[in-house]
Amino acid sequence: MATNDAPVLRIDGYGLSYQTRSGPVRALSDISLNISHGRTLGLVGESGSGKSSMAYSVMRYLAPNAREDGGRILLEGEDLRTLSPAAIARIRGRRAAMVFQDPSTSLNPAMTLGDQITEVLERHRGLDRPAARAEGEAALARTGILRPADMMRRYPHQASGGEKQRVVIATAFACQPALIVFDEPTTALDTITAQGILELFRILQTETGVSALYISHDLALVSRVADDVAVIHDGRIVETGAPGEIFSAPRNTYTKALIAAVPRPDRWMGVPPPAVDAVPVLAADRIGVLYGAPSRLAQRLGIKGRPHWGARNVSLSVRPGELLGIVGESGSGKSTIAKVLAGLIDFGGGVSFEGRDFRKRKDFDSAYRRAVQIVFQHPDASLNPRQTIGRILARPLIIYGLAPRAERPARVRALLERVRLPAEFAERYPHQLSGGEKQRVAIARAFAAEPELVICDEITAALDVSVQASVAELLMDLQRETGTACLFITHDLNLVRQLAHRIAVMQDGLLVDIFDRNGAEDPDRAQYTRALLDAVPKPAGVKPPTPFEATL
Amino acid sequence: MAELLRSPTGIAGTVLLSIVIAMAALGPFIAPYDPQTFHPIARLQGPSWAHLLGTDQFGRDILSRLLDGAPSTISFGLGATLLGVAAGSFIGVVAGVAGGAVDSVIMRLVDGLLAIPDLLFTLLIVTILGGGTGYAMLAVAVAFTPGMARISRSAVLSVRTRDYVLAAQARGESWGWIVGFEVLPNALSPIIVEATIRVAFAIMIGATLGFLGLGAQPPSTEWGLMVAEARQFMFRNPWMVAVPGIAIALAALGFNLFGDALRDALDPRGRR
Repeated sequence: MATNDAPVLRIDGYGLSYQTRSGPVRALSDISLNISHGRTLGLVGESGSGKSSMAYSVMRYLAPNAREDGGRILLEGEDLRTLSPAAIARIRGRRAAMVFQDPSTSLNPAMTLGDQITEVLERHRGLDRPAARAEGEAALARTGILRPADMMRRYPHQASGGEKQRVVIATAFACQPALIVFDEPTTALDTITAQGILELFRILQTETGVSALYISHDLALVSRVADDVAVIHDGRIVETGAPGEIFSAPRNTYTKALIAAVPRPDRWMGVPPPAVDAVPVLAADRIGVLYGAPSRLAQRLGIKGRPHWGARNVSLSVRPGELLGIVGESGSGKSTIAKVLAGLIDFGGGVSFEGRDFRKRKDFDSAYRRAVQIVFQHPDASLNPRQTIGRILARPLIIYGLAPRAERPARVRALLERVRLPAEFAERYPHQLSGGEKQRVAIARAFAAEPELVICDEITAALDVSVQASVAELLMDLQRETGTACLFITHDLNLVRQLAHRIAVMQDGLLVDIFDRNGAEDPDRAQYTRALLDAVPKPAGVKPPTPFEATL
Repeated sequence: MAELLRSPTGIAGTVLLSIVIAMAALGPFIAPYDPQTFHPIARLQGPSWAHLLGTDQFGRDILSRLLDGAPSTISFGLGATLLGVAAGSFIGVVAGVAGGAVDSVIMRLVDGLLAIPDLLFTLLIVTILGGGTGYAMLAVAVAFTPGMARISRSAVLSVRTRDYVLAAQARGESWGWIVGFEVLPNALSPIIVEATIRVAFAIMIGATLGFLGLGAQPPSTEWGLMVAEARQFMFRNPWMVAVPGIAIALAALGFNLFGDALRDALDPRGRR
C-alpha cells in the first residue's frame, strides 16, 4: 500500500522548553521520529514525559511560554516550523487532524454534532452545505454509529462518551488528512467503549491509509494499535521498535521498568487468602441507595422526581485479611457502595460489622468510623491544601485517642516511614508532593487509625502506571503487616486480578457477579463479566506470559 | 508579612494602605489649618504654597479637611464592611454547610433582599433607624449582608464536596471542626477579596447618605461628603472634587491590592 517511502511526518532533532519563573524547563530534547505512509506510531510515556508537548508541537498549538530549541518537523516534506500562521491554519484539519482525550470538552456544547462535522467539511473541503451534510452522515455511518441522521441532530450532551468520541474521530477522518494525532483518545472512556473505539481506529486506518501518531500512557493498548512504538521519558525517546520486540525484549532500563509495572492478571501480588469459612468482618445486606428521590414536601405536592438507583440490593461480605475487588464501569454504583460503607450517604438495607448492626448512616459511631477507613481516588483532592502532612496524619491519632500528644510526632514519622516517605515530609504541604506521594500520605492516614477494613476507591486510577504499581505494592505490604481487610474498587480488571481474593462485578447499581480470583475463566461467569474480561487490553506481540516468565 | 511583600501587587497595596492608615491615625494632628476656619479672601483657589491642595467655597483648606476627615471616613468604611462581612459570612456558611431545606429557606430570603439595590436598601434602613453616622454604618452593613452571604455560601459549596471534607466526615469529625478547619480556610479567599472591594463601596454609600442628609452632616469632613458638597463648585474649582475623590480611590485601591496579596499570602500553595 505504501508506494512512496517518503515519511508523512518526520521529526528531526527537535527540542522544546518552557519558560517559567524559575528558569527554562526542558520538555523535549533531541526528538527524532518518522512515520511513513499508512503507519501508526505509538508514543508511550508517563505524565510529564513530554508526550503531549510533542502532540501540540506537531499541531503547532504551542503555549505562549514555549521556546523551540532547534530541529525540524516535516509534514510531507514541508517544515511546519517555517510556515506562517495562515499556512498552518490551512494545514490543520485538512492535512493534519487531532483527536483529543476528552470528547466532552473537545466538542462545542452549543452546536449540534451535525453542525460541527459539517462546518469542518465546508471549511476544509469546500463542500456546499447539502453535500457537506451528506458527507458528514456518511462519515458518521463509517464510524459505526447506528442512526447517523439522528445523531447529526443531537447536541453533545445527548450523546454518550463513546458516541461523542466517534463523532470526533469521524470529523478527523472526514477531510482525509495525511496525518492524525491521537492524544489518549480512550483514556476518558470505559473499558468496553474504549475497546470499540480501538476497533474503529483500526478499521478506519486500514480503509483510508492515514498515518497516525498515537499518544498514550498505556503500553499494552499502544502495542495493539501501533506498527512502531517509541517510548518517551523525560522528554527523550529512550527506545523505539516494533511493539512485539519492545514488549518481549526491552533494552532500555526505563522501558523494562515500565513493562514490569503493567498489571498482568497472572502475576499475583496479593497476600495469602483468608480461611474460606472465616466469619466476615463486614457484611452488607441488601444495600440500596436512591438518588434524586423527591422530598416529603414534593411528594405531598404531587411532584414526581425521576429517581434512579445508585445501588440496589447489593449484598457482600469481607472476611478478615481479605481483599475484595469491586469492578465496574463509571456509574455502575461501585463508588456508591464505598460511600455507604464510609458513612457518607444515607442508605437502605443494613451493614453488620464485627457483630454489630447498622441500619442507617447516623448509626455509624466513632468506633465504626475508626475501624473502617476510606482512601479516595484523587490524591490532590483528598488532602486539605492548608494543612501540613504532619497535621493531616496526626488527626486520626487525635480523634480516636490513639496516641498522647507527646508521642504524636514520633508516630507521624513512623507512619511516613511505613509508606516509604521521608520523615521530613511532615513539615510539607500537599502541593509540594507528587501525586504518588500524596496518595501514600492518604494511605498512611487511613492506616493511622489502625483500621479493620480499608476502602480503596479507585486509588490508582489517577496515577501513572509505574506509580500505580508501587502504590499497589505498598498496599499489599501494609495488608501483610497489619492483616487489615480491604475493599478495592477499580475499573482496572488486570490490576484487581493481581491483588484480590474475590472479585465482585457491578453494573447499573446491581451486583451482577462475584467470583473467586481463580474462577475468572469459569463458564458460569455472568455475561457482563465476560464482556469486561474480553475488553481488557492484553499486550500484543507476545503470548500471555506464564507466571514463571513474568518474574524473569 | 514577608509573604505580603513578595509580589509587586503586595508592595503597592501595602504602601497605599500604610499611607491611608497613617492619614487616618495622624491626619487631624498634622493638618496645617483648622479644617473649619473660613478664609474669605482665598475662596475656591487651586493649589498654592499657602494652601497645598487649594480651598473650598468658604476658603477652608482642602488638605486640612482631607486629613481631618481620614479617621472617620476610613473607620466608617472598615466598620461597615467588617460588620456586613461577619454577618453575611455567618449566614452563608450556615446555609452552605447545612444544605437542604435550611439552605433553601435562607437563600430565598437572601435572594429577595438582593433584589433591592444597595442604596435603596440602606435608605430604607436609615429611614427606620434614623440618621447619623452610627446608624448609617449599621445600615450599610445590613445592606452588604445578603451579597456576602451569597458569596460565602458559594465558596463553601465549592469546598464542601471536596474529598478532604468527605474524608473528615468519614473519620467522624465534629461539624465545628469540619467547618472551622477543613471548609473555612479553603473558602476564605473569595470572601477576603470581596470584603476589600466592598470597603470602597461602603465609603461611597456613606458619602451618598451624607449627601442626602442621612449620614454624616456638614460641616463634617468625611471624604464622601466633601465630594458631595463640592459638586456645585466643580467647574470653578475642580480640585474640590478631585482631591477627596482621588483619596477615596486610592484608599479603595489600597484595600483591594492588599486584599489580593493577603489572599495569596494565606495560601500555602503559593509558597515553594
